[in-house]
Amino acid sequence: MMGRTMFIDPGRCIGCQACVSACRECDSHRGKSMIHLDYTDEGHSVAALPTVCMHCEDPVAPCAEVCPADAILVTADGVVQQADTTRCIGCANCVNACPFGVPKIDLRAKLQMKCNLCYDRTAYGLAPMCATVCPTGALFYGTAEELRAERPGVQVADTFVFGESEVRTGVAMVVPAERVQWPVPGGLPVVEINGKDVRR
Amino acid sequence: MTEPPEAPAAEQPDPGASAGPAGEAGGRKRGPGSGVAARAAAAVPRSVTGRATLAGFIVSALLILAIVFGSRLLRNFDSALLPYAVATVFLAFGVAYRYTVWISAPGARRLFVQGRRSLFSAENFRRAPTALPKMAATYLGFQKFLGARSHARWAAHQLIFWGCILASLITFPLTWGWFTFTSSTGSGPGYEMRVWGFKILGFDSLNIIGWLMFHGLDVAAVLVIPGASYFLWRRMKDRGAITGQRFAYDMVPLLALIVISVTGLLLTFSSLFLHGGGYEFLAILHMVSVVFTLIYIPFGKFFHIVQRPAAVGMQLFKYTGRQDDQVFACRRCEEPVDTGPYVENLRGTMRDLDLGFDAWAEYCPRCKRVLRGSAYLSQVKKGFK
Repeated sequence: MMGRTMFIDPGRCIGCQACVSACRECDSHRGKSMIHLDYTDEGHSVAALPTVCMHCEDPVAPCAEVCPADAILVTADGVVQQADTTRCIGCANCVNACPFGVPKIDLRAKLQMKCNLCYDRTAYGLAPMCATVCPTGALFYGTAEELRAERPGVQVADTFVFGESEVRTGVAMVVPAERVQWPVPGGLPVVEINGKDVRR
Repeated sequence: MTEPPEAPAAEQPDPGASAGPAGEAGGRKRGPGSGVAARAAAAVPRSVTGRATLAGFIVSALLILAIVFGSRLLRNFDSALLPYAVATVFLAFGVAYRYTVWISAPGARRLFVQGRRSLFSAENFRRAPTALPKMAATYLGFQKFLGARSHARWAAHQLIFWGCILASLITFPLTWGWFTFTSSTGSGPGYEMRVWGFKILGFDSLNIIGWLMFHGLDVAAVLVIPGASYFLWRRMKDRGAITGQRFAYDMVPLLALIVISVTGLLLTFSSLFLHGGGYEFLAILHMVSVVFTLIYIPFGKFFHIVQRPAAVGMQLFKYTGRQDDQVFACRRCEEPVDTGPYVENLRGTMRDLDLGFDAWAEYCPRCKRVLRGSAYLSQVKKGFK
Protein backbone atom coordinates (compact mmCIF):
# COMPACT_ATOMS: atom_id res chain seq x y z
CA MET A 1 0.00 0.00 0.00
CA MET A 2 1.29 3.43 -0.88
CA GLY A 3 1.89 6.00 1.87
CA ARG A 4 -0.80 8.45 0.83
CA THR A 5 -3.37 6.54 -1.07
CA MET A 6 -7.03 5.99 -1.71
CA PHE A 7 -9.20 4.01 0.69
CA ILE A 8 -12.43 2.65 -0.76
CA ASP A 9 -15.37 1.84 1.47
CA PRO A 10 -18.19 0.45 -0.70
CA GLY A 11 -20.39 0.32 2.42
CA ARG A 12 -20.49 4.12 2.37
CA CYS A 13 -21.13 4.50 -1.38
CA ILE A 14 -24.61 5.78 -2.23
CA GLY A 15 -24.06 5.58 -6.00
CA CYS A 16 -24.54 9.33 -6.49
CA GLN A 17 -22.07 9.51 -9.40
CA ALA A 18 -20.41 12.66 -8.06
CA CYS A 19 -17.04 10.89 -8.43
CA VAL A 20 -17.82 10.04 -12.05
CA SER A 21 -18.57 13.67 -12.85
CA ALA A 22 -15.56 14.98 -10.93
CA CYS A 23 -13.26 12.51 -12.64
CA ARG A 24 -14.06 14.15 -15.97
CA GLU A 25 -12.54 17.36 -14.65
CA CYS A 26 -9.15 15.75 -14.08
CA ASP A 27 -6.65 17.59 -16.26
CA SER A 28 -4.84 14.44 -17.31
CA HIS A 29 -7.93 13.07 -19.11
CA ARG A 30 -10.23 16.06 -19.28
CA GLY A 31 -13.75 15.24 -20.45
CA LYS A 32 -13.41 11.51 -19.91
CA SER A 33 -14.27 9.80 -16.66
CA MET A 34 -11.94 7.00 -15.64
CA ILE A 35 -13.64 5.93 -12.42
CA HIS A 36 -16.15 3.08 -12.63
CA LEU A 37 -19.30 3.00 -10.55
CA ASP A 38 -21.08 -0.33 -10.73
CA TYR A 39 -24.33 -1.39 -9.14
CA THR A 40 -23.50 -4.91 -8.11
CA ASP A 41 -27.02 -6.20 -7.56
CA GLU A 42 -29.03 -3.82 -9.68
CA GLY A 43 -32.78 -3.99 -9.17
CA HIS A 44 -32.45 -5.68 -5.81
CA SER A 45 -30.03 -3.53 -3.89
CA VAL A 46 -28.75 0.04 -3.86
CA ALA A 47 -25.24 -1.26 -3.25
CA ALA A 48 -22.69 0.42 -5.49
CA LEU A 49 -18.99 -0.18 -5.96
CA PRO A 50 -16.68 2.63 -7.05
CA THR A 51 -13.56 1.32 -8.77
CA VAL A 52 -10.42 3.36 -9.26
CA CYS A 53 -7.13 1.90 -10.43
CA MET A 54 -5.83 -0.21 -7.56
CA HIS A 55 -2.18 0.46 -8.52
CA CYS A 56 -1.08 -3.14 -8.09
CA GLU A 57 2.24 -3.62 -6.31
CA ASP A 58 2.78 -7.39 -6.36
CA PRO A 59 2.68 -8.67 -8.99
CA VAL A 60 3.89 -5.37 -10.37
CA ALA A 61 0.95 -3.92 -12.28
CA PRO A 62 -0.29 -6.83 -14.43
CA CYS A 63 -1.42 -4.27 -17.02
CA ALA A 64 2.17 -3.08 -17.42
CA GLU A 65 3.51 -6.63 -17.46
CA VAL A 66 1.30 -7.79 -20.34
CA CYS A 67 1.77 -4.59 -22.35
CA PRO A 68 3.59 -5.53 -25.56
CA ALA A 69 4.71 -1.94 -26.16
CA ASP A 70 6.16 -1.10 -22.72
CA ALA A 71 3.65 1.74 -22.68
CA ILE A 72 2.60 1.65 -19.02
CA LEU A 73 5.01 3.32 -16.65
CA VAL A 74 4.98 2.73 -12.91
CA THR A 75 6.45 5.82 -11.28
CA ALA A 76 8.74 5.59 -8.27
CA ASP A 77 5.88 6.53 -5.96
CA GLY A 78 3.98 3.39 -7.01
CA VAL A 79 1.43 5.08 -9.26
CA VAL A 80 0.63 3.05 -12.36
CA GLN A 81 0.32 5.70 -15.06
CA GLN A 82 -2.00 5.57 -18.01
CA ALA A 83 -0.51 4.38 -21.27
CA ASP A 84 2.14 6.52 -22.91
CA THR A 85 0.35 8.00 -25.92
CA THR A 86 3.46 7.58 -28.06
CA ARG A 87 3.78 3.88 -27.44
CA CYS A 88 0.28 2.53 -26.85
CA ILE A 89 -0.87 0.44 -29.82
CA GLY A 90 -4.39 -0.14 -28.54
CA CYS A 91 -4.09 -3.92 -28.33
CA ALA A 92 -6.28 -4.08 -25.18
CA ASN A 93 -3.98 -6.56 -23.40
CA CYS A 94 -4.09 -4.36 -20.30
CA VAL A 95 -7.86 -3.98 -20.47
CA ASN A 96 -8.44 -7.72 -20.41
CA ALA A 97 -5.60 -8.68 -18.08
CA CYS A 98 -6.42 -6.21 -15.30
CA PRO A 99 -7.95 -8.28 -12.50
CA PHE A 100 -9.99 -5.30 -11.33
CA GLY A 101 -11.43 -4.35 -14.75
CA VAL A 102 -10.01 -0.83 -14.64
CA PRO A 103 -8.41 0.29 -17.96
CA LYS A 104 -10.57 1.65 -20.74
CA ILE A 105 -9.71 1.69 -24.40
CA ASP A 106 -10.52 3.98 -27.29
CA LEU A 107 -10.29 1.67 -30.28
CA ARG A 108 -10.40 4.49 -32.84
CA ALA A 109 -7.60 6.38 -31.12
CA LYS A 110 -5.80 3.09 -30.38
CA LEU A 111 -5.20 4.32 -26.87
CA GLN A 112 -5.67 2.95 -23.40
CA MET A 113 -6.74 5.30 -20.63
CA LYS A 114 -7.09 4.64 -16.96
CA CYS A 115 -7.21 6.23 -13.54
CA ASN A 116 -3.79 7.62 -12.68
CA LEU A 117 -4.81 8.71 -9.19
CA CYS A 118 -5.16 12.27 -10.59
CA TYR A 119 -1.40 12.48 -10.87
CA ASP A 120 -1.62 16.17 -11.77
CA ARG A 121 -3.08 16.70 -8.27
CA THR A 122 -1.61 13.94 -6.10
CA ALA A 123 1.93 14.77 -7.28
CA TYR A 124 1.38 18.11 -5.53
CA GLY A 125 -0.25 16.68 -2.40
CA LEU A 126 -3.84 17.34 -3.43
CA ALA A 127 -6.52 14.64 -3.20
CA PRO A 128 -7.82 13.08 -6.42
CA MET A 129 -10.98 14.64 -7.85
CA CYS A 130 -13.22 11.70 -6.88
CA ALA A 131 -12.13 11.71 -3.22
CA THR A 132 -12.50 15.49 -3.11
CA VAL A 133 -16.18 15.41 -4.04
CA CYS A 134 -17.35 12.12 -2.50
CA PRO A 135 -20.10 13.22 -0.07
CA THR A 136 -20.03 10.10 2.10
CA GLY A 137 -16.34 9.35 2.40
CA ALA A 138 -16.62 6.15 0.38
CA LEU A 139 -13.48 7.41 -1.35
CA PHE A 140 -10.91 8.72 1.12
CA TYR A 141 -7.46 9.98 0.22
CA GLY A 142 -4.70 10.15 2.78
CA THR A 143 -2.60 7.88 4.95
CA ALA A 144 -3.95 4.95 6.97
CA GLU A 145 -3.27 7.03 10.10
CA GLU A 146 -5.32 9.94 8.79
CA LEU A 147 -8.15 7.55 7.98
CA ARG A 148 -8.06 6.06 11.46
CA ALA A 149 -7.97 9.51 13.02
CA GLU A 150 -11.28 10.23 11.29
CA ARG A 151 -12.75 6.75 11.69
CA PRO A 152 -11.38 5.14 14.85
CA GLY A 153 -10.92 1.39 14.69
CA VAL A 154 -11.42 1.14 10.93
CA GLN A 155 -9.56 -1.73 9.30
CA VAL A 156 -8.20 -1.77 5.79
CA ALA A 157 -6.92 -4.47 3.44
CA ASP A 158 -4.80 -4.24 0.34
CA THR A 159 -4.57 -7.89 -0.62
CA PHE A 160 -7.03 -9.41 -3.04
CA VAL A 161 -7.41 -13.01 -4.03
CA PHE A 162 -8.29 -14.24 -7.50
CA GLY A 163 -8.54 -18.02 -7.40
CA GLU A 164 -5.12 -19.21 -6.27
CA SER A 165 -3.41 -15.89 -6.91
CA GLU A 166 -3.08 -12.93 -4.66
CA VAL A 167 -2.59 -9.35 -5.72
CA ARG A 168 -1.29 -6.68 -3.36
CA THR A 169 -2.32 -3.18 -4.28
CA GLY A 170 -1.32 0.39 -3.63
CA VAL A 171 -4.95 1.37 -3.03
CA ALA A 172 -6.77 -0.24 -0.09
CA MET A 173 -10.33 -1.19 0.83
CA VAL A 174 -12.11 -0.82 4.13
CA VAL A 175 -13.07 -4.20 5.60
CA PRO A 176 -14.78 -5.33 8.81
CA ALA A 177 -12.36 -6.02 11.67
CA GLU A 178 -13.02 -9.75 11.66
CA ARG A 179 -12.17 -9.93 7.93
CA VAL A 180 -8.88 -8.11 8.02
CA GLN A 181 -6.66 -11.19 8.17
CA TRP A 182 -8.13 -12.61 4.97
CA PRO A 183 -7.48 -11.25 1.53
CA VAL A 184 -10.44 -9.51 -0.03
CA PRO A 185 -12.20 -11.79 -2.55
CA GLY A 186 -11.63 -10.56 -6.07
CA GLY A 187 -14.53 -12.44 -7.62
CA LEU A 188 -12.61 -15.38 -9.09
CA PRO A 189 -13.36 -18.29 -9.27
CA VAL A 190 -16.84 -17.65 -10.53
CA VAL A 191 -19.05 -20.54 -9.51
CA GLU A 192 -22.46 -19.39 -10.63
CA ILE A 193 -23.82 -17.04 -13.26
CA ASN A 194 -27.53 -16.24 -13.31
CA GLY A 195 -28.29 -19.37 -11.30
CA LYS A 196 -26.21 -21.59 -13.59
CA ASP A 197 -23.24 -23.53 -12.23
CA VAL A 198 -20.20 -22.55 -14.30
CA ARG A 199 -17.56 -24.57 -12.43
CA ARG A 200 -15.51 -26.51 -14.91
CA MET B 1 -21.73 -15.67 -7.46
CA THR B 2 -18.15 -16.34 -6.56
CA GLU B 3 -16.40 -18.80 -4.32
CA PRO B 4 -15.20 -17.44 -0.95
CA PRO B 5 -11.46 -17.35 -0.49
CA GLU B 6 -10.00 -19.81 1.94
CA ALA B 7 -8.59 -18.55 5.20
CA PRO B 8 -4.82 -18.86 5.28
CA ALA B 9 -3.79 -22.13 6.85
CA ALA B 10 -0.71 -20.81 8.55
CA GLU B 11 0.91 -17.60 9.64
CA GLN B 12 -2.23 -15.99 10.95
CA PRO B 13 -1.17 -12.44 11.60
CA ASP B 14 -1.58 -10.81 14.94
CA PRO B 15 -4.81 -8.76 14.73
CA GLY B 16 -2.89 -5.88 16.23
CA ALA B 17 -0.61 -5.93 13.22
CA SER B 18 -3.49 -4.82 11.06
CA ALA B 19 -2.98 -1.33 12.36
CA GLY B 20 0.10 -1.21 10.18
CA PRO B 21 0.15 -1.28 6.43
CA ALA B 22 -2.76 -3.36 5.23
CA GLY B 23 -0.45 -5.25 2.96
CA GLU B 24 0.85 -7.10 5.95
CA ALA B 25 -2.59 -8.49 6.63
CA GLY B 26 -3.57 -11.85 5.22
CA GLY B 27 -1.45 -14.81 4.28
CA ARG B 28 0.51 -14.08 1.14
CA LYS B 29 1.00 -16.91 -1.29
CA ARG B 30 4.30 -16.32 -2.98
CA GLY B 31 5.17 -18.72 -5.70
CA PRO B 32 8.72 -18.80 -7.01
CA GLY B 33 9.41 -15.76 -9.08
CA SER B 34 6.27 -13.96 -8.05
CA GLY B 35 7.99 -11.29 -5.96
CA VAL B 36 8.80 -7.84 -7.23
CA ALA B 37 12.56 -8.34 -7.15
CA ALA B 38 12.31 -11.76 -8.77
CA ARG B 39 10.23 -10.33 -11.57
CA ALA B 40 12.59 -7.43 -12.07
CA ALA B 41 15.54 -9.82 -12.25
CA ALA B 42 13.66 -12.06 -14.64
CA ALA B 43 12.68 -9.09 -16.80
CA VAL B 44 15.81 -9.23 -18.95
CA PRO B 45 17.51 -12.60 -18.49
CA ARG B 46 21.16 -12.92 -19.36
CA SER B 47 20.37 -15.13 -22.35
CA VAL B 48 18.25 -12.32 -23.80
CA THR B 49 20.94 -9.68 -23.34
CA GLY B 50 23.44 -12.07 -24.91
CA ARG B 51 21.13 -12.64 -27.88
CA ALA B 52 20.46 -8.91 -28.15
CA THR B 53 24.18 -8.10 -28.12
CA LEU B 54 24.78 -10.68 -30.84
CA ALA B 55 21.91 -9.24 -32.91
CA GLY B 56 23.40 -5.76 -32.44
CA PHE B 57 26.83 -6.85 -33.62
CA ILE B 58 25.42 -8.72 -36.62
CA VAL B 59 23.27 -5.82 -37.78
CA SER B 60 26.11 -3.32 -37.26
CA ALA B 61 28.52 -5.56 -39.19
CA LEU B 62 26.00 -5.93 -42.02
CA LEU B 63 25.58 -2.17 -42.16
CA ILE B 64 29.36 -1.64 -42.29
CA LEU B 65 29.58 -4.14 -45.15
CA ALA B 66 26.67 -2.42 -46.91
CA ILE B 67 28.44 0.93 -46.53
CA VAL B 68 31.73 -0.46 -47.85
CA PHE B 69 30.22 -2.24 -50.85
CA GLY B 70 27.45 0.33 -51.49
CA SER B 71 30.05 3.08 -51.73
CA ARG B 72 32.10 0.97 -54.15
CA LEU B 73 34.80 0.09 -51.63
CA LEU B 74 34.60 3.58 -50.10
CA ARG B 75 35.44 5.30 -53.40
CA ASN B 76 32.12 7.21 -53.20
CA PHE B 77 32.28 7.63 -49.42
CA ASP B 78 32.43 11.25 -48.31
CA SER B 79 34.89 11.39 -45.42
CA ALA B 80 33.36 14.69 -44.25
CA LEU B 81 30.27 12.67 -43.36
CA LEU B 82 32.17 10.04 -41.37
CA PRO B 83 30.72 11.04 -37.94
CA TYR B 84 27.21 10.61 -39.35
CA ALA B 85 28.04 7.18 -40.77
CA VAL B 86 29.60 6.07 -37.48
CA ALA B 87 26.49 7.26 -35.62
CA THR B 88 24.28 5.17 -37.92
CA VAL B 89 26.37 2.10 -37.07
CA PHE B 90 25.81 2.79 -33.36
CA LEU B 91 22.14 3.37 -34.17
CA ALA B 92 21.94 -0.01 -35.91
CA PHE B 93 23.50 -1.71 -32.88
CA GLY B 94 21.19 0.06 -30.43
CA VAL B 95 18.03 -0.57 -32.41
CA ALA B 96 18.83 -4.26 -32.96
CA TYR B 97 19.71 -4.68 -29.26
CA ARG B 98 16.61 -2.93 -27.96
CA TYR B 99 14.35 -4.60 -30.51
CA THR B 100 15.59 -8.06 -29.51
CA VAL B 101 15.11 -7.31 -25.81
CA TRP B 102 11.70 -5.85 -26.53
CA ILE B 103 10.33 -8.79 -28.52
CA SER B 104 11.74 -11.25 -25.99
CA ALA B 105 9.29 -10.07 -23.31
CA PRO B 106 6.25 -12.39 -23.12
CA GLY B 107 3.61 -9.84 -24.14
CA ALA B 108 5.51 -8.54 -27.15
CA ARG B 109 6.87 -11.95 -28.18
CA ARG B 110 3.45 -13.61 -28.38
CA LEU B 111 1.84 -10.78 -30.30
CA PHE B 112 4.89 -10.51 -32.54
CA VAL B 113 4.68 -14.23 -33.40
CA GLN B 114 0.94 -14.03 -34.03
CA GLY B 115 1.36 -10.90 -36.10
CA ARG B 116 4.10 -12.47 -38.19
CA ARG B 117 1.96 -15.56 -38.70
CA SER B 118 -0.94 -13.41 -39.92
CA LEU B 119 1.42 -11.38 -42.09
CA PHE B 120 2.91 -14.35 -43.92
CA SER B 121 -0.28 -16.37 -44.17
CA ALA B 122 -1.05 -17.12 -47.82
CA GLU B 123 -4.68 -17.79 -46.89
CA ASN B 124 -5.02 -14.34 -45.32
CA PHE B 125 -3.54 -12.78 -48.42
CA ARG B 126 -5.97 -14.65 -50.69
CA ARG B 127 -8.98 -13.66 -48.61
CA ALA B 128 -8.07 -10.02 -48.05
CA PRO B 129 -5.21 -8.97 -50.32
CA THR B 130 -5.76 -5.27 -49.63
CA ALA B 131 -5.93 -5.55 -45.82
CA LEU B 132 -2.22 -5.19 -45.19
CA PRO B 133 -1.45 -2.30 -47.57
CA LYS B 134 -4.57 -0.51 -46.34
CA MET B 135 -3.55 -0.91 -42.70
CA ALA B 136 0.02 0.14 -43.46
CA ALA B 137 -1.19 3.26 -45.26
CA THR B 138 -3.85 4.33 -42.75
CA TYR B 139 -1.99 3.27 -39.63
CA LEU B 140 1.66 3.92 -40.42
CA GLY B 141 1.45 6.50 -43.19
CA PHE B 142 -1.54 8.71 -42.50
CA GLN B 143 -1.89 7.72 -38.82
CA LYS B 144 -5.67 8.00 -38.70
CA PHE B 145 -5.67 6.96 -35.06
CA LEU B 146 -3.90 10.20 -34.16
CA GLY B 147 -6.76 12.14 -35.74
CA ALA B 148 -9.11 10.41 -33.32
CA ARG B 149 -6.98 11.72 -30.44
CA SER B 150 -6.71 15.30 -31.70
CA HIS B 151 -6.76 16.90 -35.14
CA ALA B 152 -4.01 19.37 -34.22
CA ARG B 153 -1.74 16.62 -32.94
CA TRP B 154 -2.42 14.60 -36.06
CA ALA B 155 -1.46 17.53 -38.32
CA ALA B 156 1.69 18.30 -36.31
CA HIS B 157 2.72 14.66 -36.25
CA GLN B 158 2.17 14.34 -40.00
CA LEU B 159 4.49 17.30 -40.57
CA ILE B 160 7.19 15.74 -38.38
CA PHE B 161 6.63 12.28 -39.86
CA TRP B 162 6.91 13.24 -43.53
CA GLY B 163 9.74 15.67 -42.78
CA CYS B 164 11.73 12.94 -41.04
CA ILE B 165 10.96 10.38 -43.76
CA LEU B 166 12.20 12.80 -46.41
CA ALA B 167 15.31 13.67 -44.40
CA SER B 168 16.08 10.00 -43.72
CA LEU B 169 15.70 9.03 -47.38
CA ILE B 170 18.22 11.71 -48.30
CA THR B 171 20.75 11.64 -45.48
CA PHE B 172 21.17 7.95 -44.72
CA PRO B 173 22.17 6.91 -48.27
CA LEU B 174 24.20 10.10 -48.62
CA THR B 175 26.26 9.46 -45.48
CA TRP B 176 26.75 5.82 -46.45
CA GLY B 177 28.15 6.87 -49.81
CA TRP B 178 25.28 5.22 -51.67
CA PHE B 179 24.17 8.43 -53.41
CA THR B 180 26.51 10.62 -55.36
CA PHE B 181 25.88 13.78 -57.33
CA THR B 182 28.51 14.40 -59.97
CA SER B 183 28.90 16.88 -62.75
CA SER B 184 30.92 16.24 -65.84
CA THR B 185 31.51 19.99 -66.20
CA GLY B 186 32.90 20.44 -62.71
CA SER B 187 30.50 23.03 -61.30
CA GLY B 188 27.31 22.17 -63.15
CA PRO B 189 24.60 23.09 -63.88
CA GLY B 190 24.16 19.59 -65.34
CA TYR B 191 24.35 16.90 -62.63
CA GLU B 192 24.02 13.15 -62.51
CA MET B 193 22.56 11.29 -59.58
CA ARG B 194 24.07 7.87 -59.03
CA VAL B 195 22.98 5.16 -56.63
CA TRP B 196 25.61 2.52 -55.79
CA GLY B 197 27.54 3.95 -58.68
CA PHE B 198 24.74 3.43 -61.22
CA LYS B 199 23.32 6.48 -62.96
CA ILE B 200 19.68 7.00 -62.01
CA LEU B 201 18.93 10.40 -63.48
CA GLY B 202 20.47 13.52 -64.84
CA PHE B 203 19.13 16.96 -63.98
CA ASP B 204 19.82 20.63 -64.29
CA SER B 205 20.60 22.10 -60.89
CA LEU B 206 19.08 25.43 -61.90
CA ASN B 207 15.57 24.16 -62.64
CA ILE B 208 12.89 23.23 -60.13
CA ILE B 209 13.86 19.55 -59.95
CA GLY B 210 17.47 20.50 -59.38
CA TRP B 211 16.46 22.97 -56.68
CA LEU B 212 14.34 20.32 -54.93
CA MET B 213 17.17 17.78 -55.18
CA PHE B 214 19.61 20.11 -53.50
CA HIS B 215 17.16 21.57 -50.99
CA GLY B 216 15.32 18.41 -49.95
CA LEU B 217 16.68 18.72 -46.43
CA ASP B 218 15.55 22.35 -46.23
CA VAL B 219 12.04 21.24 -47.20
CA ALA B 220 12.22 18.55 -44.52
CA ALA B 221 13.30 21.14 -41.94
CA VAL B 222 10.44 23.44 -42.93
CA LEU B 223 8.04 20.55 -42.32
CA VAL B 224 9.57 19.47 -39.02
CA ILE B 225 9.96 22.87 -37.34
CA PRO B 226 6.24 23.79 -37.08
CA GLY B 227 5.27 20.24 -36.10
CA ALA B 228 7.88 19.94 -33.35
CA SER B 229 7.21 23.51 -32.19
CA TYR B 230 3.52 22.74 -31.78
CA PHE B 231 4.32 19.70 -29.63
CA LEU B 232 6.80 21.72 -27.61
CA TRP B 233 4.18 24.43 -27.04
CA ARG B 234 1.68 21.74 -26.06
CA ARG B 235 4.15 20.24 -23.59
CA MET B 236 4.35 23.62 -21.88
CA LYS B 237 0.65 24.55 -22.00
CA ASP B 238 -1.54 21.42 -22.06
CA ARG B 239 -2.14 20.23 -18.53
CA GLY B 240 -2.81 16.67 -19.68
CA ALA B 241 0.51 16.55 -21.51
CA ILE B 242 2.34 18.18 -18.62
CA THR B 243 1.09 15.54 -16.15
CA GLY B 244 3.99 13.22 -15.46
CA GLN B 245 6.10 14.48 -18.34
CA ARG B 246 9.85 13.97 -18.14
CA PHE B 247 12.41 16.30 -19.65
CA ALA B 248 14.67 13.61 -21.09
CA TYR B 249 11.81 11.54 -22.49
CA ASP B 250 9.32 14.17 -23.65
CA MET B 251 11.22 17.39 -24.27
CA VAL B 252 14.67 16.32 -25.48
CA PRO B 253 13.38 14.62 -28.68
CA LEU B 254 11.45 17.75 -29.66
CA LEU B 255 14.36 20.03 -28.87
CA ALA B 256 16.67 17.73 -30.83
CA LEU B 257 14.39 17.84 -33.89
CA ILE B 258 14.17 21.62 -33.73
CA VAL B 259 17.93 22.10 -33.26
CA ILE B 260 18.69 19.77 -36.19
CA SER B 261 16.20 21.53 -38.44
CA VAL B 262 17.16 25.08 -37.50
CA THR B 263 20.91 24.46 -37.80
CA GLY B 264 20.28 22.70 -41.11
CA LEU B 265 18.38 25.72 -42.44
CA LEU B 266 21.06 28.06 -41.10
CA LEU B 267 23.66 26.17 -43.12
CA THR B 268 21.70 27.01 -46.26
CA PHE B 269 21.23 30.58 -45.05
CA SER B 270 24.97 30.93 -44.42
CA SER B 271 25.80 29.56 -47.82
CA LEU B 272 23.26 31.71 -49.71
CA PHE B 273 23.40 35.00 -47.83
CA LEU B 274 26.51 35.10 -45.66
CA HIS B 275 29.01 33.80 -48.20
CA GLY B 276 29.65 30.84 -45.89
CA GLY B 277 30.03 32.96 -42.75
CA GLY B 278 29.83 30.79 -39.60
CA TYR B 279 29.38 27.73 -41.80
CA GLU B 280 31.99 25.59 -40.02
CA PHE B 281 30.59 26.29 -36.59
CA LEU B 282 27.03 25.61 -37.79
CA ALA B 283 28.15 22.43 -39.53
CA ILE B 284 29.67 21.13 -36.30
CA LEU B 285 26.60 22.12 -34.27
CA HIS B 286 24.36 20.41 -36.82
CA MET B 287 26.52 17.30 -36.85
CA VAL B 288 26.61 17.06 -33.05
CA SER B 289 22.82 17.38 -32.81
CA VAL B 290 22.24 14.77 -35.52
CA VAL B 291 24.76 12.31 -34.04
CA PHE B 292 23.27 12.73 -30.58
CA THR B 293 19.73 12.17 -31.92
CA LEU B 294 20.72 9.08 -33.90
CA ILE B 295 22.35 7.51 -30.85
CA TYR B 296 19.35 8.49 -28.68
CA ILE B 297 16.79 6.80 -30.95
CA PRO B 298 16.94 3.30 -29.39
CA PHE B 299 16.69 4.57 -25.83
CA GLY B 300 13.93 7.12 -25.66
CA LYS B 301 10.71 8.27 -27.19
CA PHE B 302 11.98 7.82 -30.74
CA PHE B 303 11.95 4.05 -30.27
CA HIS B 304 8.25 4.18 -31.13
CA ILE B 305 9.39 4.64 -34.74
CA VAL B 306 10.71 1.09 -34.56
CA GLN B 307 7.84 -0.29 -32.46
CA ARG B 308 4.90 1.06 -34.45
CA PRO B 309 5.34 -1.07 -37.58
CA ALA B 310 5.14 -4.20 -35.40
CA ALA B 311 1.68 -3.07 -34.31
CA VAL B 312 0.39 -3.62 -37.85
CA GLY B 313 0.92 -7.35 -37.26
CA MET B 314 -1.23 -7.10 -34.14
CA GLN B 315 -3.96 -5.32 -36.10
CA LEU B 316 -3.81 -7.99 -38.77
CA PHE B 317 -4.00 -10.75 -36.13
CA LYS B 318 -7.18 -9.25 -34.70
CA TYR B 319 -8.58 -8.50 -38.16
CA THR B 320 -8.10 -12.12 -39.21
CA GLY B 321 -9.94 -13.33 -36.10
CA ARG B 322 -12.85 -10.99 -36.80
CA GLN B 323 -13.04 -12.13 -40.42
CA ASP B 324 -13.43 -15.68 -39.18
CA ASP B 325 -16.21 -14.61 -36.78
CA GLN B 326 -14.08 -15.85 -33.91
CA VAL B 327 -15.46 -13.29 -31.48
CA PHE B 328 -15.10 -14.27 -27.85
CA ALA B 329 -18.09 -13.33 -25.70
CA CYS B 330 -17.89 -12.56 -21.99
CA ARG B 331 -18.82 -15.67 -20.01
CA ARG B 332 -21.25 -13.69 -17.89
CA CYS B 333 -22.91 -10.96 -19.96
CA GLU B 334 -22.07 -12.35 -23.41
CA GLU B 335 -20.88 -8.99 -24.67
CA PRO B 336 -17.90 -9.38 -27.03
CA VAL B 337 -14.53 -9.25 -25.25
CA ASP B 338 -12.26 -9.60 -28.27
CA THR B 339 -11.42 -12.28 -30.82
CA GLY B 340 -11.03 -15.85 -29.56
CA PRO B 341 -7.40 -16.26 -30.73
CA TYR B 342 -6.54 -12.94 -29.10
CA VAL B 343 -8.02 -13.97 -25.72
CA GLU B 344 -6.17 -17.30 -25.90
CA ASN B 345 -2.98 -15.44 -26.78
CA LEU B 346 -3.43 -13.10 -23.82
CA ARG B 347 -4.07 -16.00 -21.46
CA GLY B 348 -0.82 -17.55 -22.68
CA THR B 349 1.00 -14.28 -21.98
CA MET B 350 -0.47 -14.16 -18.48
CA ARG B 351 0.59 -17.74 -17.80
CA ASP B 352 4.10 -16.92 -19.06
CA LEU B 353 4.20 -14.07 -16.56
CA ASP B 354 3.00 -16.25 -13.70
CA LEU B 355 -0.23 -14.25 -13.44
CA GLY B 356 -2.45 -17.02 -12.12
CA PHE B 357 -5.74 -15.31 -12.87
CA ASP B 358 -5.69 -15.76 -16.64
CA ALA B 359 -9.20 -17.29 -16.55
CA TRP B 360 -10.37 -13.77 -15.66
CA ALA B 361 -9.53 -12.71 -19.25
CA GLU B 362 -12.72 -14.49 -20.34
CA TYR B 363 -14.85 -11.91 -18.56
CA CYS B 364 -15.41 -8.35 -19.68
CA PRO B 365 -14.06 -5.57 -17.40
CA ARG B 366 -17.53 -4.63 -16.17
CA CYS B 367 -18.39 -8.19 -15.18
CA LYS B 368 -15.08 -8.48 -13.34
CA ARG B 369 -15.99 -5.43 -11.30
CA VAL B 370 -19.55 -6.55 -10.67
CA LEU B 371 -18.43 -10.03 -9.61
CA ARG B 372 -15.87 -8.48 -7.28
CA GLY B 373 -18.58 -6.22 -5.86
CA SER B 374 -20.87 -9.23 -5.38
CA ALA B 375 -18.09 -11.11 -3.61
CA TYR B 376 -17.50 -8.13 -1.32
CA LEU B 377 -21.25 -7.92 -0.73
CA SER B 378 -21.69 -11.57 0.12
CA GLN B 379 -18.39 -12.46 1.76
CA VAL B 380 -16.84 -9.34 3.27
CA LYS B 381 -19.33 -6.74 4.34
CA LYS B 382 -22.83 -8.14 4.33
CA GLY B 383 -24.19 -4.94 5.85
CA PHE B 384 -23.14 -3.30 2.59
CA LYS B 385 -26.44 -4.56 1.15
